[in-house]
Amino acid sequence: MRGFGDLETVIMHMVWDRHRPVTVRELFDELRQEREIAYTTVMSTMDNLHRKGWLARSKDGKAYRYTATASREEYSARLMREALADGGDTEAVLAHFVAQMRGPESEALRAVVRRLTERRPG
Amino acid sequence: MRPALLALLSALAVAWYLPALLTRLTAHGASARLGLTAWLTGMASVLALLLVALQFLIRAAADGWPRLAEAVCRSVAGGSCGPAVYQSAIFELALGLATLAAALALAVLGWRYGRSVQQGQRRTRAHAEIARLTARKLPDAGTGPGPGAGPGSGAAVVLDAAPRVAYCVPGRPATIVLSSGALAVLDSAQLTAVLAHERAHLAGRHHLLISLARGLRASFPAVPLFTQGPGEVARLAEMCADDAAARRAGRGTLVAALLAMGTGTAVPAAALAATGGATLARVQRLLEPPRRARRARCGVALLTVTLWLALMPVLVAAFAGVLTAGVVG
Repeated sequence: MRGFGDLETVIMHMVWDRHRPVTVRELFDELRQEREIAYTTVMSTMDNLHRKGWLARSKDGKAYRYTATASREEYSARLMREALADGGDTEAVLAHFVAQMRGPESEALRAVVRRLTERRPG
Repeated sequence: MRPALLALLSALAVAWYLPALLTRLTAHGASARLGLTAWLTGMASVLALLLVALQFLIRAAADGWPRLAEAVCRSVAGGSCGPAVYQSAIFELALGLATLAAALALAVLGWRYGRSVQQGQRRTRAHAEIARLTARKLPDAGTGPGPGAGPGSGAAVVLDAAPRVAYCVPGRPATIVLSSGALAVLDSAQLTAVLAHERAHLAGRHHLLISLARGLRASFPAVPLFTQGPGEVARLAEMCADDAAARRAGRGTLVAALLAMGTGTAVPAAALAATGGATLARVQRLLEPPRRARRARCGVALLTVTLWLALMPVLVAAFAGVLTAGVVG
């Protein structure tokens, strides 16, 4: 069973994939086919996403139509920007596996490998 | 007054001279974990010494208070009051003001610290939420015994982006973010090494240590121990995580992963001036680990320094207490 947080992710991806405003009913109908889920759960999750600024909505008759406030690519770009700022020394992101390397370091890194492979062939 | 000065001078001595010593002892990363402990103990020691100084200052000011009050009373009441009383009163007044200033300074430091930590947390939470909602799950991690998860470890997600990055975002739940660019250059064993490295960060609560060091840097912007703290804590935390990853995946695999992730990026010539060299140092350390004798020597030295740092506030407080007693008695 997936947690609540996961449903937010699933719904966001469904909204992004559609490229047009969607209603709760549409997403519910699709979600219902792959998992047991209540209409109100979908509704409250989308309401949450709206409250947190991920989804915009406009009234269409009796129902709301939801759209994403920014594209998936825009969010990815923002994450990368934050992750790469100052070589990873942002306040938010911690502990890169490797910080982005400057030229001489990556050059020296290759030199180390060369030296090593020469000394211990095979 | 003298005990407070003694504690203050001890704090300054540690704050100014410890960084050079620790940097030398941990330069080769012989005992990364001990090095990390030594840095953190050093910071705690300086803070404790400052508190000891403040406490003696407050005590001295409180002791002098009656004489100050007496002088003020007499001058208001118009009674006779000799120069000796006034001189003492001026001294006590200065002492009182100094105490007040020190207490205020401490409050400002605390406020700056809190603000820095809070900002960091807010940004981390925002970053984590975006990662959670936009990235897709790493296919065979997070479930089952693949290169993925142990219990309680962060789930790994993949972000569609070309730069090769891998990092962890602490929080509940913690998230490990890999870019698709990184995933493309790692084979499955190397991926295990990268994940083990990030999980070691999460398990070691390294983000708390770095956040602490950054908060202290925000509080003490000009003190070497605290300005160098975040960089050194981060460097040693990387090495600790490397050790964990090497145990899990093997040294060779970890080095291969570092090389795959680290090389091959085109870098503008303007960036050449500032070479950090942290990755290179990590690779060299993994390839040519410090000899056992050196490791033992560094370990003993670091342990001694750490113990001394931990004991110092206690010793200074005790000695200063004797000093006070001697003056009074």
